[in-house]
Amino acid sequence: MAALFHDTGHLPFSHAAERELLPDDWNHEMLTAEIIRSDEMIKIWNDLKIQTEDVVKLAIGKRYCKDCNFTDWEAILSEIIVGDALGVDRMDYLLRDSHHTGVAYGKFDHHRLIETMRILPKSYNDGSKEPALGVEDGGLHAVESMLLARYFMYTQLYFHRVRRIYDIHLKEFLKKWLQNGFFPTDVENHLQTTDNEVLAGLFKVVRDQTHPGHEYAERIVTRNHFRLLYDRKQEDISKNLEAPKAIYNELCKKFGEKNVRYDTDKQRGGDSDFPVYLNSNRRIVSSLSISDVLPKIPIAAIDFIYINSNCRSTATKWLNANRERIIKPSTEE
Amino acid sequence: MKRLQTDAVLLSLIEHMESKGSWCGETHIQKTCYLLEELFEDQLGLEFIFYKHGPYSFDLSDELTAMRADNIIKLRTKVQFYGPSLLPAENSQLIKNTYPKTIKKFEPIVKFISENFSSYGVPTLEKISTALYVTRKEDTDGSVGDRSMAIHKLNPHVTVEEARKTVKSIDLIIENAKGISFSTT
Repeated sequence: MAALFHDTGHLPFSHAAERELLPDDWNHEMLTAEIIRSDEMIKIWNDLKIQTEDVVKLAIGKRYCKDCNFTDWEAILSEIIVGDALGVDRMDYLLRDSHHTGVAYGKFDHHRLIETMRILPKSYNDGSKEPALGVEDGGLHAVESMLLARYFMYTQLYFHRVRRIYDIHLKEFLKKWLQNGFFPTDVENHLQTTDNEVLAGLFKVVRDQTHPGHEYAERIVTRNHFRLLYDRKQEDISKNLEAPKAIYNELCKKFGEKNVRYDTDKQRGGDSDFPVYLNSNRRIVSSLSISDVLPKIPIAAIDFIYINSNCRSTATKWLNANRERIIKPSTEE
Repeated sequence: MKRLQTDAVLLSLIEHMESKGSWCGETHIQKTCYLLEELFEDQLGLEFIFYKHGPYSFDLSDELTAMRADNIIKLRTKVQFYGPSLLPAENSQLIKNTYPKTIKKFEPIVKFISENFSSYGVPTLEKISTALYVTRKEDTDGSVGDRSMAIHKLNPHVTVEEARKTVKSIDLIIENAKGISFSTT
């Protein structure tokens, strides 16, 4: 039940602009919890003899169920659903997104992975142990393949420059289209606000030139989105860790804030350290100590700066002429 | 505090812990960072919650990953049973050059943390950070006995006697921390 309900709190178009379009201190996990705790669902949990709070706890995990106490067993169950390294939510979204977008990078041998998953004692340097989700050594390549798939899906799809600018324009449209600029947080209205409602609203606003969201809706529908001017370069980062932000600030001064957009994001979650059971000598070791692949998988990160297509050519020339000056490292005052 | 200033302090903590011979696995950094935050009034603004084995911050976990993306720290692996350790990477000098004042300001605090906690393994750090969590956050009468019982309740694998010893040592650490302040030079 917790796994089935895990994603029910998602807004239309999923993660696009969730932070900006929900009131302060709200996120989609809290909406999931609200749905699970709704009167309609409580009747069902009672019939099934399931404790409502158990479902909430396992569905959203400790990160978002901050005041809940988790036993070792509950922590493992929750990790199976929402865990960073081996959670089924991750397996599901990678395979689903890969299938629906035709991006083949997201595929991996999930049958093998699930078959070899085990609850194993994770060891610490003084010999103490705690139960954690891990795999038998025969499943290690399947995990490597999944975590590589995640990296490729981030770089090729989730962090794709064109997909990201559509998110930005969609957020701009929604900010003007939604009542008070926010999605509703009560269960009934949340469930009634779907992708279809947003798309219908978008096309309506395209025909209404007086609507404050008209410009953004039109950009999406006519594909006249802002164009990529700059993306994160390791060469620039190694000179100035804030190089993209510095470039964005200078572009705003030169071309005006309304013509420039900045998008920054990094993959979240911890490292891929989980226990691996070695069948040959019945030992349990850290995944990162025996895998040649896992420690080398990069962390996906983006810094995109977009420009209104009207100024693209001038901005490109200007940036080429000024980039080195802008990214010159500074020391704090 | 800006994100990169927080990163500069985290890097400094990792370097000080390592120079004192500590293994710098993520759990070590989680626990010592909690002690730094709780003893010195949430300077980094990282949110900690009580998880399976003591205070834990998902924000910090994300930030350490972001620091790896920026090549400020990297993982050292291939040591069996330990899990990976975090080490300064190629851009660590760059962040030190960019935020020398922040690093200098936090130096006495970071030194205090590394001098007091670098010799401990994860289980001891877990007990100490739990004792501080209970002292500061849990609803107890403040006595050694009541706090020891609260620790035992939160972590049943810690005996009441062990908890009692840890509470006494955290009280001493809290007192000693009062004499430490940010560098103003």
